[in-house]
Amino acid sequence: MKPPVLRCRHVTKRYGKFTALKDLSLEVYEGEIFALLGPNGAGKSTLIHCITGLAKRSEGSIEVLGFDTVNDFRTTRRLVGLVPQEIGYDPFFTPLESLMIQMGLMGVEPNRSRAESLLETFALGDKRDAYTRTLSGGMKRRLLVAKALVHDPRLLFLDEPTSGVDVELRRELWQEVEDLRTAGTTIVLTTHYIEEAEKLADRIGILHKGELLLVESRESLLERHGGRPLEDIYLELIRKADGRHAA
Amino acid sequence: MSTIALKTLFLKEVRRFSKVWLQTILSPLVTTSLYFLVFGVALGSRLREISGVPYIQFVVPGLVMMTMIRDSFLNTSSSLFQSKINGTITDILVAPIGALEMVLAYVGAAMIRAIIVGTLVCLVALSFTWFPLHHMGWTLFFTIFVTATLALLGMIVALWAQKFDHLAIFPNFVLLPLAFLGGVFYSIDLLPEPWHTVSRLNPLLYMVNGLRFGFLGVADVSPVTSAGVVLVSFLVVLVAASALLRSGYNLRT
Ligand SMILES: Nc1ncnc2c1ncn2[C@@H]1O[C@H](COP(=O)(O)OP(=O)(O)O)[C@@H](O)[C@H]1O
Ligand SMILES: [Mg+2]
Repeated sequence: MKPPVLRCRHVTKRYGKFTALKDLSLEVYEGEIFALLGPNGAGKSTLIHCITGLAKRSEGSIEVLGFDTVNDFRTTRRLVGLVPQEIGYDPFFTPLESLMIQMGLMGVEPNRSRAESLLETFALGDKRDAYTRTLSGGMKRRLLVAKALVHDPRLLFLDEPTSGVDVELRRELWQEVEDLRTAGTTIVLTTHYIEEAEKLADRIGILHKGELLLVESRESLLERHGGRPLEDIYLELIRKADGRHAA
Repeated sequence: MSTIALKTLFLKEVRRFSKVWLQTILSPLVTTSLYFLVFGVALGSRLREISGVPYIQFVVPGLVMMTMIRDSFLNTSSSLFQSKINGTITDILVAPIGALEMVLAYVGAAMIRAIIVGTLVCLVALSFTWFPLHHMGWTLFFTIFVTATLALLGMIVALWAQKFDHLAIFPNFVLLPLAFLGGVFYSIDLLPEPWHTVSRLNPLLYMVNGLRFGFLGVADVSPVTSAGVVLVSFLVVLVAASALLRSGYNLRT
């Protein structure tokens, strides 16, 4: 059997004395869309950062396609793409330049026509030579997605890609995510729009105070709860967990 | 090691300072040329020889070294710190790039900038006075190892710094005074004790005098001693910068 695309085993992450992830184990499989849900501060970004190299795990192991993300970081980072939650952009470079540079940084020979076609895909074709700072928030967000794709990652993380994005753009983004999955990319996303996760995700994980409350396929989750909306199920679980923590 | 990534990061750093050449090339060139005009040309005509060479020649290598020290430091420190602050460091942190590539790319680009400015300062000086290039080997040695050392120091300071003030402390309150006191404008043989001895504790003295020996064949310190101090400084910052980058200090949470 092929190894899962992502395998986290007993991952703990501490920031000083504060434990952001507690003994978390999770597997994500080839070609699926996995939605990681949870309230603000649950540790979603922390988990993504531990996998992508932005944070250092304190304990446990993380493997991408069987490669350890610390010991084989050169291999795993080539396989993984990240659309970070925070928008950062380099004021020195245009969107086209940014994409070309990112290809090179990811270890792929910079290819102008590939960069241009990515810009077209994300409706940034006419902005390719603009100063990045003159782009609207939505455009910058799209540029981040394009940048995360320059090296054709096998596993793509989208950390709240739709926060602060208007409804039209959200739809377009999710369409793009579906297309990527169809093309064989495995996707892990976080979002505050639970109904979007309900539409898109094959499997759902709910994270709360650094612990996974549940990991289940969308179908069985909805079936188990008699077809109630995911948002209701989600809220119920979170409330129950909060009660347990309070007790 | 990924050579494509290394090449890209290096060229990105070179393009970064080229795009703002007014700030990164012209501004230090103008400032250093002003020092040269005031001290070398105007005052120098009134001063006698120093260490056996005309004063106007004496200040040239000092000024070249002073600006190269500053420019190589500023290039790495401001670039790395800015990308830490505006979040674009993420692009590098998620890439298959190790500490070695980061050091080579950032330091290489900073050296290029410093050497461009240093060369231009020489050309400005040449339009006022002839000066020798006594020893090409020492000139290259001190140019390469001093710019690399300061570029590495710039990386360390950028990693450590949490706000812009932290970054400004170094060039203005450490490097500039130490360069002045390191004999850019005078020979420390002119100083009374204890200042003569105190001056010998200043690592920048050896950088300035090393290049001066390369240019003019005269210096307060033998080139071998200067080279020793520069090499040790280089190794210290190289080991420190590599260790910090490898550990992800202030980069990876
Ligand atoms: N760099 C950091 N230093 C200290 N605490 C942090 C850091 N990053 C995140 N945290 C804390 O870890 C917890 C999880 O944060 P995060 O992963 O960003 O949550 P989410 O993405 O689910 O909203 C929060 O309590 C947050 O304050
Ligand atoms: Mg988050």
